[in-house]
Amino acid sequence: MTSLQSIRNTSSSVLTSLTVKGISKLLAFFSIASKTTSGRIGLFIVLIHFLLAVFGSFITPYSPTAFGAENLQHRLEGPTFAHPFGTDHFGRDVLSRVIAGARSIVWISVIGTTLGIFLGTVVGITSGYLGGWIDQISMRFMDWLLSFPSLLLALLLITIGAERFDIDESWLIIMVIGIAFMPNNSRVIRSASLTVKPLEFVQNARLRGEPLYYIVFREILPNVLPVIGVEATLRLSFALLLTASLGFLGLGVQPPTPDWGLMVSDGREFLSMAPWVALSPALAMGSLVIGVNLLADGIRQALQLPEVRSE
Amino acid sequence: MKKEREVLLSVAGLSVSFFTPRGTIRAVRDASFEVARGEVLGIVGESGCGKSTAAFAIMGYLPKTAEIEGSILFEGKSISDLDANELRSLRGNRIAMVYQDPTTSLNPSMKIGLQVAEVVLEHMDLSSSQTSDRVIELFESVGLADPDEIGNRYPHELSGGMQQRVMIAMALACDPDLLIMDEPTTGLDVTTEATILDLVASLKERVNAGILYVSHNLGVIARVADRVSVMYAGQTVEQSTVYELFDSPQHPYTAGLLSCVPKPPQEGGETTRLRRIPGFVFSSQESNDDLCLFSDRCPLANEKCMTQSPSVISSPHGSEVRCIRSHDVDSDIWGEVEQILGVPQSQSETVLMAEQLTHEYGKHQKKYVLFGPETSTPVRALNEVDFDVKKGRTLGIVGESGSGKSTLARAAVGLIEARSGTIKLHNESLANKVENRSQDERSAIQMVFQNPTASLNPKLRIRNTILRSLRRFAGLGRDESQLRAEELMLAVGLDPSYLDRLPSELSGGEQQRVAIAGAFSANPEVVVADEAVSSLDVSVQAQVLNLLEDRQKELGNSYLFISHDLGVVRYLSDEIMVIYAGYVAEYGPSSSVLSLPSHPYTEALLSAAPVPDPTVESNSLRLEGAVPTMRERFQGCFFASRCPRKLGSICDDSPPPSQDAGEGNGHVISCHIPVKELSAVQS
Repeated sequence: MTSLQSIRNTSSSVLTSLTVKGISKLLAFFSIASKTTSGRIGLFIVLIHFLLAVFGSFITPYSPTAFGAENLQHRLEGPTFAHPFGTDHFGRDVLSRVIAGARSIVWISVIGTTLGIFLGTVVGITSGYLGGWIDQISMRFMDWLLSFPSLLLALLLITIGAERFDIDESWLIIMVIGIAFMPNNSRVIRSASLTVKPLEFVQNARLRGEPLYYIVFREILPNVLPVIGVEATLRLSFALLLTASLGFLGLGVQPPTPDWGLMVSDGREFLSMAPWVALSPALAMGSLVIGVNLLADGIRQALQLPEVRSE
Repeated sequence: MKKEREVLLSVAGLSVSFFTPRGTIRAVRDASFEVARGEVLGIVGESGCGKSTAAFAIMGYLPKTAEIEGSILFEGKSISDLDANELRSLRGNRIAMVYQDPTTSLNPSMKIGLQVAEVVLEHMDLSSSQTSDRVIELFESVGLADPDEIGNRYPHELSGGMQQRVMIAMALACDPDLLIMDEPTTGLDVTTEATILDLVASLKERVNAGILYVSHNLGVIARVADRVSVMYAGQTVEQSTVYELFDSPQHPYTAGLLSCVPKPPQEGGETTRLRRIPGFVFSSQESNDDLCLFSDRCPLANEKCMTQSPSVISSPHGSEVRCIRSHDVDSDIWGEVEQILGVPQSQSETVLMAEQLTHEYGKHQKKYVLFGPETSTPVRALNEVDFDVKKGRTLGIVGESGSGKSTLARAAVGLIEARSGTIKLHNESLANKVENRSQDERSAIQMVFQNPTASLNPKLRIRNTILRSLRRFAGLGRDESQLRAEELMLAVGLDPSYLDRLPSELSGGEQQRVAIAGAFSANPEVVVADEAVSSLDVSVQAQVLNLLEDRQKELGNSYLFISHDLGVVRYLSDEIMVIYAGYVAEYGPSSSVLSLPSHPYTEALLSAAPVPDPTVESNSLRLEGAVPTMRERFQGCFFASRCPRKLGSICDDSPPPSQDAGEGNGHVISCHIPVKELSAVQS
């Protein structure tokens, strides 16, 4: 009984300590990001988009997926006070659809980037530290992956995944982002870990007879985290663009769920008579990508890291 | 006869502050000195004492955030009143500067002749043929071999010493009146340093200029300077002629610095224990005008020192000191002279032994699977080196950079896998790679590295580092290891509260102590110290050397102590091995190795090592160039290409024999010259 209680106590205390740690990490991230002007602007834009992604469904003035006779009476109406961004070809409120569309693209990109960073970090640090033929083979494999255009890879994976294995498109896009970003991530992180590897504290760990995972994740990883942080923010903007491109091609979220890429694609037909239908999601997309890039740049400046550009 | 001093530069009450978001940094507080024509003024002090900042202030090279107060007069005119154009012409034509690192001061993509010609053209009105003549003349004057051709080379084709000569040639290009040299030999080997110092000494006579020479090394200052100005925490604390300063220092700090440096043994062959200055340099962040900045470290400090800033006291013969108790200063204020109790000469048990240790970098094959050069010849870093480390004793290893010292250290601990040869611990062979050794074997051999900052993971608190080490080696439980960690910290002279700090919150000396604590947490039998004190200031160096010695006395462990600094090696070692290009030149008990007869290489090292005593005539034996990169096995003697005592073709054709010096203590010299002749020519 008591032991059970103590276990419960410790587990709850571990949980609270973890959340406390997470919050303090997040605050540290904010304070680093807000050290520079571009970081502050970027953080502001990104935070707005994230809040919309989380709470968007509560604040949309109209239903983003409404489909009915009364809607059809208001087809392709220009911006009015009732519909600030106008209405689309089914008479739905574009503003509501833009707000609701933030959710899918933000989550898909964030999770996809995280996956790519995770895979890239594991491969990059390990092959950087081990060197030799393991490094050669894994890096040549990364080169091979890199030689695929990411859109082609996406087409391939989504078609096979959706038709053969009936996997949800969102998960497939996440996988595509993860796989497509892994090679570049692993290269950047490998080179960062190569600069840490010869340092004396890593050599000391070898003298202590530490196992591989300890050297890689406890000694090297904490010292390449800043590089990973900048890399992740930078990648996020590519992930957003890739997700939107896939939506535009009709490979992403299926209608009627609002999706920015799909909305641009649909609005293309009425570009001359109702430009707001395509323009609104495009502007939302553009502002988010600019925000993420500013944020990445701000963090990089604040941490005084060299500019990383792998594309 | 004393000739009239023509004062070129006079700095009075100079203070430099930097305004940063983290507060004001007072790099220089109150510096005053004079440089006269034909005279070398040495500025000496530990790092962070504002020496270089003062030099940069004279050149007007400080960033705009710096606030400069006080007067800098060049030939009676204030430098701060000059506009940008006047300052620019003053810098090149009248005042020139030589920096610490020649590799970054030269443009790597430009031939050196052109780089020097650029300076000449900028400041002098000469035709192109006159310019090239001038450049050749300059190269000749700084002692560069082959001055006609050397201008066509790129900086990377020159050794560090030659690069520094080019920098000096550039500084001399317009016959400056004042030459500022900021640690010009700090990154160089002792042998190269000695040749540069000779050059500076000869410049003093040939060029009618004043030289301001900034250095942290008392030995270097003793060799080049006429007058010395000692700086502490941004203040000039003492100023006098070089002989007076080294003979009878007036300021406690100067006296302390002098007693921190390992000196050659006394007549009886006994070395005395180093004395040390406790504490740290007064923080440049604090402003305190009402106390002596040295009072918290000074053994003479009294009430008055804590409450009143001392003023500068001038003596009639021109020396100055900033201390109210200067008449009480003598060398004993830093503690009694203790004799080091030598370990009895009896043959004790061998702990670590290496046989025929050989290492090469690179492989005899294609470098890459698909691309890259067809073949690459490996670089031979160690050639069949034998040594043994006895229980409770220290084997010192000396050599220039590139001689294979660090390779030897890393091969011994197994960080690099030696190509061939065996390493034995208590007569049992060890795997050459650390990953293949058992945990007990690993704990027996630990290492302390040169760079203390890199030895500790910057993201981990000291506690984590030490506890991890204890858990891996001693297998202690949580509470026990906490206790043991605190014991270790106390043993290296640090407060246990340091355990909760991050490495970045510690000074270099403290970091090195933590690194030593980490090494000792394994209860090692042998500690390999690779240049463990080279990056530290003299006062901190003395602390760490004493610490290493105390630990040895207490625990009876052995050291493999590697350094380029003969003084330091001499201080700590029982046996010394001199290596050159991966070959053992000389090996034996330290007193025998450092006295005659010795291998010509050891002789050259000994004569090059700067001694902090201006009365010591330096031996004129000098080595030019650098340790060659060995790709092929030598036909003849490894040292033949630079040997000052080369006999002739025999040195090029056959490898030298290992001769016993006939002292009956295992003193071995690898040289073609018979030991008797060696002692004859060297005495």
